[in-house]
Amino acid sequence: MTLSARLTKRLTSGFALDVSFVVEPGVTILFGASGSGKTTILRCVAGLTRPDAGRVAVGERVLFDSQSPRDVPVPERRLGYVFQQLALFPHMTVAENIAYGLAALPRGERQQRVVEAAGSFHIEGLLGRRPDQISGGERQRTALARALVTDPDALLLDEPLSALDYAIQRHIMDDLRRWNEARRIPVLYVTHSHREAFALGDRLLALEQGRVVASGSPHEVLDHPAHAPLAALAGFENLFAATVAARSERGGTMRCLLAGTSTELEVPLGAAPVGAPVRIALRAGDILLADREPAGLSARNILRGTVAASTMHGTTVVATIDAGARFLVHLTPGGADTLGLQPGNPVWLVIKTYSCRVAHPRDSAGQ
Amino acid sequence: MDWQALWLTARLAALVSTILVVISIPLAHWIVFNRRRWTFLVESVVSLPLVLPPTVMGFYLLMATGTRSPLGRLWNEWTGHPLAFTFEGLVVASVFYSLPFAVQPVAAAFAQIDPTLREASATLGASRLRTFLRVVLPLSIEGVVAGLVLSFAHTVGEFGVVLMVGGNLPGVTRTISIAVYDHVQALQYREATLTALFMLAFSFAVLLMVYGLRRRPLAAAPMA
Amino acid sequence: MVVLALALAPAGVSTQARPRLAIAAASDLQAVLPEIVGAFERARQASVAVSYGSSGTFFAQIQNGAPFDVFLSADVEYPRQLIAAGLADTSTLQVYATGHLVVWARRDRRLDLARGLASLTDPRVRHVAVANPKYAPYGRAAVAALRSARLYDALQPKLVMGESLAQTAQLVESGNADAGVLSLSLVLGPTLKAEGTYTEIPASLHPPIDQAVVVVKASRAGGLARDFIAYLRQAETIDRFTRFGFTVPRPAAR
Repeated sequence: MTLSARLTKRLTSGFALDVSFVVEPGVTILFGASGSGKTTILRCVAGLTRPDAGRVAVGERVLFDSQSPRDVPVPERRLGYVFQQLALFPHMTVAENIAYGLAALPRGERQQRVVEAAGSFHIEGLLGRRPDQISGGERQRTALARALVTDPDALLLDEPLSALDYAIQRHIMDDLRRWNEARRIPVLYVTHSHREAFALGDRLLALEQGRVVASGSPHEVLDHPAHAPLAALAGFENLFAATVAARSERGGTMRCLLAGTSTELEVPLGAAPVGAPVRIALRAGDILLADREPAGLSARNILRGTVAASTMHGTTVVATIDAGARFLVHLTPGGADTLGLQPGNPVWLVIKTYSCRVAHPRDSAGQ
Repeated sequence: MDWQALWLTARLAALVSTILVVISIPLAHWIVFNRRRWTFLVESVVSLPLVLPPTVMGFYLLMATGTRSPLGRLWNEWTGHPLAFTFEGLVVASVFYSLPFAVQPVAAAFAQIDPTLREASATLGASRLRTFLRVVLPLSIEGVVAGLVLSFAHTVGEFGVVLMVGGNLPGVTRTISIAVYDHVQALQYREATLTALFMLAFSFAVLLMVYGLRRRPLAAAPMA
Repeated sequence: MVVLALALAPAGVSTQARPRLAIAAASDLQAVLPEIVGAFERARQASVAVSYGSSGTFFAQIQNGAPFDVFLSADVEYPRQLIAAGLADTSTLQVYATGHLVVWARRDRRLDLARGLASLTDPRVRHVAVANPKYAPYGRAAVAALRSARLYDALQPKLVMGESLAQTAQLVESGNADAGVLSLSLVLGPTLKAEGTYTEIPASLHPPIDQAVVVVKASRAGGLARDFIAYLRQAETIDRFTRFGFTVPRPAAR
């Protein structure tokens, strides 16, 4: 059973939401910065917000269609929803919270399902406690159990793990995965953390200013980010617009000229012909610096530049190097000391071909 | 000690506050959760008794329920009795007079409920009624109790409206506050003081009972 | 849930207590009327309920259907207006008593009231209580008397208005006003008699405070009401009125 949605809506942040996507069984990450419309999409699917136009269906069942018109009320949509603030009922115990959606069942069966769900999420010992008496991670698990125990047709999660430790996140994600393996419902998971995206997602939809700009596996989308905001979210500090200057089929590389400069980078061979525009993303931590021209290295990119600035961010030194284009480089304090980074000093940049992630802006767009 | 007047007042206050709880909950629910552009008009009308002097209110309620008014005449046709100058007339007048004291605490309690709780309830399959009974009402019960207590106390202390609409008929519309006034008018200050003290003790006892029965103090913090 | 129990209690009390004769009486009759009513109840085996208050309020209430059978006003105007509005029986209109004004002050004030109204000009008298002349007949008479005695302008800044004659009395009795213009009937009652002294104000200084009674047309106790009006003309009733400082016209005036 798949979840399909086509939605348009004017958002309060000014721009318009205009998306169309299909969510297969398994976890699909809805990835984007705050204000990009992710939560609005979830709310429209759930029926909590009304889209301006569109269609939402789960399997054969149409939940919303602005043309028919059809608008199934929220309580009848049979979707599980975990809110960002969890929205656990403060005056009910964990057991009562989980049981809330099962009111139609006879008492015995209801209790059984509650215990089962609590077991799957490892909170069986907390059933008699109130939300204010359990930890953050336990509350998240309760919210998940509550949404899933009703056997929904699809699950909608709004940044459910954001405030937690990585270790706890992993455990909860494992529990969620195990639950879904048995049932295989479409799960739409909203986040702006690339770590959660990589850990949990089977597929990823990248959202920017109300539009899907990329879709594919998390690796496909986030390792070759086509747009600057996406690149930044995915952890690439450098993103350059460039054109393909030359291709070497035998060498498996191509040379790209960085826009507005005479600097070239050698990058892995892609499909783009000579003259085509590409984007090159580069992590600041993937760049080596040397205080004299290095020799005998395998790296294909050795650029001469000048130190423009150097600042401390926490335990990392961030250096801005001017080598035709501006490069951001991350160093340890020890490494920075060794080099002696004074503005104006000459410095060499060493960049491996494979550190350069090439994206072709056209064909990475959403389906 | 005017036992008749005391019993009358107790019955009036109990009946009025019960009616008001029943009226104020749906009204407050509509005001908070179903806002239209003209909801502010309704809120203003509901709050009107707060700013009108009781004698003015009493006068207009008398005109509205007396034998010359459409309402008064209709009532007379249905029941054979007039509406003003009867216990029932006092009930009607007191309900209007104490309406904001019942509606406002309830509306305030509804408004401070986290809206995502109601949304969560809906996503879990609960109808609006079930959401109201299982989520909204339990979380706002303090507001409802406050409304009940305030209406009760306000009705016990009513004077101007009761005098105008009731006519001070012994055993029928002479409430305890009017009995005190009568003693003062007759220059019987000792009786007046005794009755007033008794009134104070009675009201205080009711308040003690209501607040004593509540499990939690006012304003528990909302849950994240 | 005591509240609920109280609310659902049967309404029996109100119907049982329905009196057979309901009288609306001006508040200056508080001292004298109980005796008269008591005697009437005994003589006729009737049950009478009296509500005291300001004549103006009763007038408005009777217009809106207040279930009084007899209206003992503090003036003649209100009963006349009721008759004009078709709400009262003109054949039952009669002046049952004429009231008198006095100046009254608490004994412990040690004010010399011998000069009557003029005593109020004493600098120790900072506040003088009168009933509100806008609607209280005794208040109107008090102001008329002050004007006749050419004392109004001098005393006007000191005047404090009481909403009814009884409230005016309370203003003086409680010490909030140093002296007041009240009715003779009130000051002859037990409380005020014990606590203060008075001087009568000559009746020539103001129009007579004729107090009239009328039977309300909508009354369901018409016969008993007429009996009561007749009883007001009995010798023993006239005696009582006189003892309490009223003058009663004999025979009944129209």
